[in-house]
Amino acid sequence: MLKKLGNIAALAAGLFALAAPVAAAELTGVTDTEIHIGQWGPQTGPAAPWGSVARGTGMLFQMINDAGGIHGRKIVYHMFDDQYNPAKTVAGVKELVEKAPGVFGFASGVGTSPGLAVKDYLMERGIPWVGPAAGSLHWITPPQKALFSLYPLYADEAKLLVRQLVEKEGKKKIAILHASDEYGENGHRGAVQEMQRLGLKPVAEVPVNQADRDLKSHVLLLKESGADAVLMWVNPTHAVITLKTAAALQFAPQWATSSTLSDAPLMQTISGGLWKNILFASFSELPDADTPQMKQYREAFAKYAQKGERWGVFFMAGIGFVEPMVEGLRRAGRNLTRESFIAAMETIRNYKGILGTVNFGPGQRQGAKEIFLARTDDSGTKITQLTPWAEVK
Amino acid sequence: MDMKRSYYEDLRLFDTLPLGLWLVAATVALAAAPFLLGNYVLYVLGYIAINVIVAIGLNVLVGYTGQISLGHAGFFAIGAYATVLLANVGLPILLALPLAALIAAAFGFLLGLPALRLEGPYLAVVTLGFGLAVENIFAKASVFGGATGPAVPGFGVTFLPGFSREQNLYVLIVATAGLSLLAVRNLIRTRVGRAFIAIRDSDVAASCAGVDLTWYKTLAFAVSAFFTGLAGGLFAFHLGQVDPTSFNLMLSILFLAMVVIGGVGSILGPVLGAVAISLLNLKLKGLKMADFEQIPLAGPDIAAFLGRHFMETGMANIQFIVYGTILVLIMLFEPLGLYGLWIRGKRYWRTWPF
Repeated sequence: MLKKLGNIAALAAGLFALAAPVAAAELTGVTDTEIHIGQWGPQTGPAAPWGSVARGTGMLFQMINDAGGIHGRKIVYHMFDDQYNPAKTVAGVKELVEKAPGVFGFASGVGTSPGLAVKDYLMERGIPWVGPAAGSLHWITPPQKALFSLYPLYADEAKLLVRQLVEKEGKKKIAILHASDEYGENGHRGAVQEMQRLGLKPVAEVPVNQADRDLKSHVLLLKESGADAVLMWVNPTHAVITLKTAAALQFAPQWATSSTLSDAPLMQTISGGLWKNILFASFSELPDADTPQMKQYREAFAKYAQKGERWGVFFMAGIGFVEPMVEGLRRAGRNLTRESFIAAMETIRNYKGILGTVNFGPGQRQGAKEIFLARTDDSGTKITQLTPWAEVK
Repeated sequence: MDMKRSYYEDLRLFDTLPLGLWLVAATVALAAAPFLLGNYVLYVLGYIAINVIVAIGLNVLVGYTGQISLGHAGFFAIGAYATVLLANVGLPILLALPLAALIAAAFGFLLGLPALRLEGPYLAVVTLGFGLAVENIFAKASVFGGATGPAVPGFGVTFLPGFSREQNLYVLIVATAGLSLLAVRNLIRTRVGRAFIAIRDSDVAASCAGVDLTWYKTLAFAVSAFFTGLAGGLFAFHLGQVDPTSFNLMLSILFLAMVVIGGVGSILGPVLGAVAISLLNLKLKGLKMADFEQIPLAGPDIAAFLGRHFMETGMANIQFIVYGTILVLIMLFEPLGLYGLWIRGKRYWRTWPF
């Protein structure tokens, strides 16, 4: 009996010992020599192709550290796999924030629902978060002090595409194929608004469900509508099925699609060579763009990239969404606090990295609004930029 | 497993005095936790406790009544949505939670009806269809908030002045888990529980002995759905968000795995299973090459082997191999699950060192 009571006492003591180090001072993730920054991103599971965003950020930080860091501090990067599962995002974020030395802030992070699950937690604590990798209105309605959004709005992309189709390419009958989720609805809404402005109506509006794998009826609706152009606001799998089905039905309109399908080499591969003459919107420079910055990144990629990595749009997005954060850290100077960082972020005007021009300011939290249109050629391998970087008015 | 020598022994709430003492110790430790532990640990404990509620609820169906369900993510989703929607129309959360659980129970009752005529794989397919249907209905219908789900209201319950949202939530979740455990333990000792067990052992024999199969089978589904719905409601607040795609088939399978890994047909088993699966779920995510190097003796060789045969970008998938291996090893060496380990450990210490 006594022995058993002893066991209980030992267990209780153990639990208290576990608990002891918690009541420490607030962790800021900044030491004399280090800045700790976190990011979540699906490395496994169905959303894993988007995981290269987090690895792109890793390369950017590596470049910065090898060039001497920021004001004498190296960036320590904590990336974790959340499998696009919000319950895991929350666990990972809380762990990073609360385990010494904490994290200074979060860079990018893929997904609307993983991001939404941690937004309040981060904002209540004033932890900076820059450049969520999802085009959602949730980040800026209402604007949050510590959250800096960079992903241009899906609705703007749709508007620009419609404008191009109608005004430059003389298309009159435009149909919309869209995913029945937030992403698809935003594109759908933007396109319909722009058509109204131009005195047009979509000839067909066809939703696609996440679980659909046979899109024949969808494509038949598009074909029967007599559309000469189709706005395709779906995920990569559905885009490929749509093109294959359309090819089988000998339906060949002008396809136009969003920035989420802007990785043309990837789309060309998985569609088996059907990704030809596609009009698409883009929020980042093209992978082979000839700017000095892009050359520098491509050289770094050749040097740092791990086996199996690919220089594609998502990897680049991981750089582009985080460049302004690095700029903010530089501007905040040696005396880095969360307040000084946020103040420094608000001074960023006309900053040009991989994304369009970035402008933040007091109360202004949507930094990048510029996008441009591009088109793949008949071979599907060469991409031409059609319009200059511009904000959609 | 444990020999019972009289009916009274079978009726006791706690089998032995030490067990009671251990429970008291665990209760004290859990009660002290919100004062001592940080937000992250409370989140993990809450996540585990929610899974414990589901596992003991599912165990009523699988372990005690011998029915199978691959659709419990559906009840979990119904609980989550109903709680949030009821709270959004102004109902207090403490009222919305049990009400939502009752709604889930009603659906459990409905799903129990086909179970009267179906068994084994056939029942598995029916419940599977139920789970998939629920997921899709919530994701597609705009009344339920569509793809991003309805907005979850603030958690306005305060148990102690000065407690943060996380501390208050922890108290509610862990207390609910404790009460659920007690409720299921009690249920199994009653006439109803015995009827469940009789059906599991042989439904024909049970029927001959006067057990009303229609009533008790559907009741088992309803009870099981009640606890799962309760857990779903807590989960909505725990996460602060309801995402319809997270209530998928994988979740149903994980729930079932918790019960089987833990040990079907016991009270402690599903608890152990829920703890184990939850921790594996949360902790394996960060597995890196460097972790393998730390394995004693063969570490560097294993890491080198993995480096040769895995692309760095695919390394993260190793977690599934480790995860699967752990589950297979548990079932291979201890078919009774973690509860079996516990029983064996207890026997060993009882006779040791004599």
